This record gives sequence, structure tokens and C-alpha cells, in this order.
Amino acid sequence: MRARLAPALTLLAVVVAWELLVDGFRVPEYLLPAPSGIAHALALEWRMLAFHTWVTLYEILSGFALSIAVGVPLAMLIVASPPFERSVYPLLVASQSVPKIAIAPLLIFWAGIGIFPKVLVAFAIAFFPIVIDTVAGLRAVEPEMLHLARSMGAGNAKIFRKIRFPSALPHIFAGVKVAVTLAVVGAVVGEFIQADQGLGYVLQQATAVLNTRLGFAAIFILALIGIALFVAVELLEHWLTPWSAARRSELAAATP
Amino acid sequence: MARVNLVEVRDVARRFRTPAGDVHALADVSFDVREGEFVSIVGPSGCGKSTLVMLIAGLLMPTAGRVVVAGAAVDRPQTRLGIVFQSPVLLAWRTALDNVLLQCEMRGRVSEAQRGRARDLLARVGLGGFEGRYPHELSGGMRQRVSLCRALIHDPPLLLMDEPFGALDALTRDQLTLDLERLRARAGTTVVFITHSITEAVFLSDRVLVMTPRPGRIDEIVEVDLPRPRRLAMREDPRFATYCRRINDRFMAHGVLKEGT
Repeated sequence: MRARLAPALTLLAVVVAWELLVDGFRVPEYLLPAPSGIAHALALEWRMLAFHTWVTLYEILSGFALSIAVGVPLAMLIVASPPFERSVYPLLVASQSVPKIAIAPLLIFWAGIGIFPKVLVAFAIAFFPIVIDTVAGLRAVEPEMLHLARSMGAGNAKIFRKIRFPSALPHIFAGVKVAVTLAVVGAVVGEFIQADQGLGYVLQQATAVLNTRLGFAAIFILALIGIALFVAVELLEHWLTPWSAARRSELAAATP
Repeated sequence: MARVNLVEVRDVARRFRTPAGDVHALADVSFDVREGEFVSIVGPSGCGKSTLVMLIAGLLMPTAGRVVVAGAAVDRPQTRLGIVFQSPVLLAWRTALDNVLLQCEMRGRVSEAQRGRARDLLARVGLGGFEGRYPHELSGGMRQRVSLCRALIHDPPLLLMDEPFGALDALTRDQLTLDLERLRARAGTTVVFITHSITEAVFLSDRVLVMTPRPGRIDEIVEVDLPRPRRLAMREDPRFATYCRRINDRFMAHGVLKEGT
């Protein structure tokens, strides 16, 4: 309880200080609106914001789902087939030195307008950590465990289902947690480049006419989406891999 | 009593390729293990003891020579055996009971009879009431007992143990040694036991194979003629001391053990 209270109190202190400073120094609204002003914008424009939130959320979730649907099987293939690994994995890793944000305009250019190009950008940014962590997880099985499984007469499919995949889950979740935050970034970047709807579009339009209040309102919603998705993934992780959480808290308890 | 050989190791050599050049782990090793016999293999670290276990289990193929188990040449992973490693290698998401039953699950469907047998085995090594615990809730000794039960649940004719008690404290070690002696006597399982503890080897075995440093060869075979079941008090028996000294002397002769001058 105390662990959750501390950051909440800090946040409250920051918001109060922000309000007082903006008020006290008479900072112009178009430079930095006070929290109360942002709240006002949220209340006033909530119908319009709800629509754009829905668009962006849809792009984020689609890109994120696609990154899991492609990333996990790709990692499985890399672990299962050494020739595939040798020919694809190094290129995949090298391709990560290309900043994805830089190729986002091209993706948008190729994929056209509408929601799909933004999904594509979210996917392109989010999928890499999932591949890397899933590969690491599938490889992390103790060799003795695999020896034992062979001595039990188990085939590859059974070993994968009963041993490799479950023991990779904590690693996969580590990748998924990074991916979900990156998917938010990807969708917004996609909207920055070309869009007529979504929170990234709202943010751009608002700042263009110095409606900073509305810009901050969009940022506030994006932050909420990021946090909510992260927490959702964590809850799923606790539910699916309770043993891993138990082990972690044991470690945490051992190091006061 | 003429007993059949369950394991035959004939002129076996094993080489490993490493970036630093070839490593000869084993050279020209031959021995037999008779049905129902308890054979220990002692030797210094790196003498290829663990490699021997892998070769008998068919998880590794010899560079030269051959291994025969139950009359058939070993050319693939053997399934009519149980293995216990130094680390318990339990699955973190399975309870003690389900970890034991993994053995049955990998071979097919788990029957109620097997479930009952797993409970019974756990109870016999003092884990009654702990069936539902997860590995992180068990002590090191308890985990190793679960691992032992998993190796015995399918009633294998052969049990391979690779330094199974090496990571445990002395007291837990003694208890597990006694548990093993008891469980094995009941089932008549043949055991190949790798250790670098001389007393542990003498205490448990019918025969102790002493290995040389790498490349490992069989240096001497010590027959241990002590009554069974073995009891802890036997470690004070003068014969026990004699056996241990004989093995010690071999280690001294090879420079594995050195006394200060």
C-alpha cells in the first residue's frame, strides 16, 4: 500500500506546485496551461476527445497484437531452426540500428492513408523487443531439463509445450511490457506524419493554433492509455506466471 | 550369484571439440554394472564422470567404443531409466507432486494409480503434506528429494545419479543417502552413482570405480563387502576406513590429493 501511496503523493505535489507556479508567475496559457486549465479542456471537449482516443487506442492495440502475433512465432522459428537463425537473426538485429521513426514516413507513404499505416508503424516499433526476449526465454531452459525430457521419451512438440514455452513466459512478458509502451509511441508518430483523426492529430492541430490546453489534454489521455495498458499486461503476467512473481518478490525480500 | 549385466561399457572414449583444441574427456573405459548392483564412480573434477552418465543415458554418443544397456546397443536417448542431476531441475510452475508426475506425463496420460504412487513416494522421503508446494517454497534438500521421486516414479530398472547430493549441506546429505538406500533396497533398482565424496561412495556401493584425472580411465575397482542395509554407524567400522583409504591412496598416487611436505 505504502509503495503505491508514495508516487501518488509525489504526483499530487507536482500538480499543486505546477498550478501555483503558473498562477504565481502569470505564465501565459499558450506556453504552459495550469492543470486546472487542462482539466477544463478535458471537460469541455470530452466528446471530441473520446472519438480520437478510440481511433488511437484501436491503432495501438492492433499494432501491439500484430507485434505479438508475428514476434512470438518468428522467435520460435529462430530457436527451432539453426539455418533460419544464421540467415535471418543477424539481419534482424542489424536492422534495429535503423531508427524506426525515420522510416515511419516511408511506411505511411507506401501504405496510404487511414488507420492501417499507423498500425504498421506501431507494429514495426513494438515487435523487436518481443522477438529478442522470446528468443532469450526459449533458450533459457536448463540443459539438464532438456536431457531429462529426452530420457522421458518426449518429442520436440511436447517439450516445447510443457517445458520451453512456459519457462519462456516471464521473458516474453518482459518484452511485451516494453512493446506495449512502444506501440503507443508508434501510433502517435504515425498520426504526426499524416492523419485526420486520432490523438496525435489532435495534438498537432491544437499546438498549431496555440491551443496548448487541448494539446496537454491529448497528452494526458495518451499517458493514461500507456499506463493502463502497462498495468493490464502486468496483471496478465501475474495471472499467467504467478511463480515468476513469487520468485521475484523473494529476491526483493532477500535484498533489503 | 551369477547376475546379468545391465550396463556394459566397452573401450569407450569421448573427445570434445573446443575452440582451444580437442579435449579427451574419457579414454578407453570399460566396466559392467550387474542387475541390482550399486556402482559408484569417484574421481577428481573434470575426469569425465558426468560424460559417462550422459553416454549411458544415450544423451551423448562415444567417439569410440560402445555402450550396451539391457542387451541393446545405446544409440539414442534411453527411456527405461531415471536420472538425478546435481541441481534438482524442477519446473517452477509445477507443484512437487506435478513435478514428480512430469515423468509420467511426458510418456503419456497420467493415471490415478501413478498419482497415488507419486504421493506415496513423496511421503516415503518425508515430503508428505508438501505435495502441493511449489519449488520456491521448498528447501534445497526437499527439492532434491522431489527430483529423486521423479526419477523413480516409473519404477525404472536403472537409476543414474550425477553428484546428486553435491550441493547439499552435510546433514541433509546424510539423510538423503539413507533415503536413497531405503528406496533402492525396496525396488531393487540398479544404480550408477557419480560422486567425488569417497565416504559417500563407499557407504552406498557394492563396487566403487576409481577414475584417473583427465583423460578419465578406470584406475581401480574396489569391492565393498559391507552388510545391507547400510547404517550410519558403519562409517566407524574399520573395514569402512580401509576401503576409504584404498581409494584415497589411488588419488594420492595420481596427484589428485597432495599432503604438505
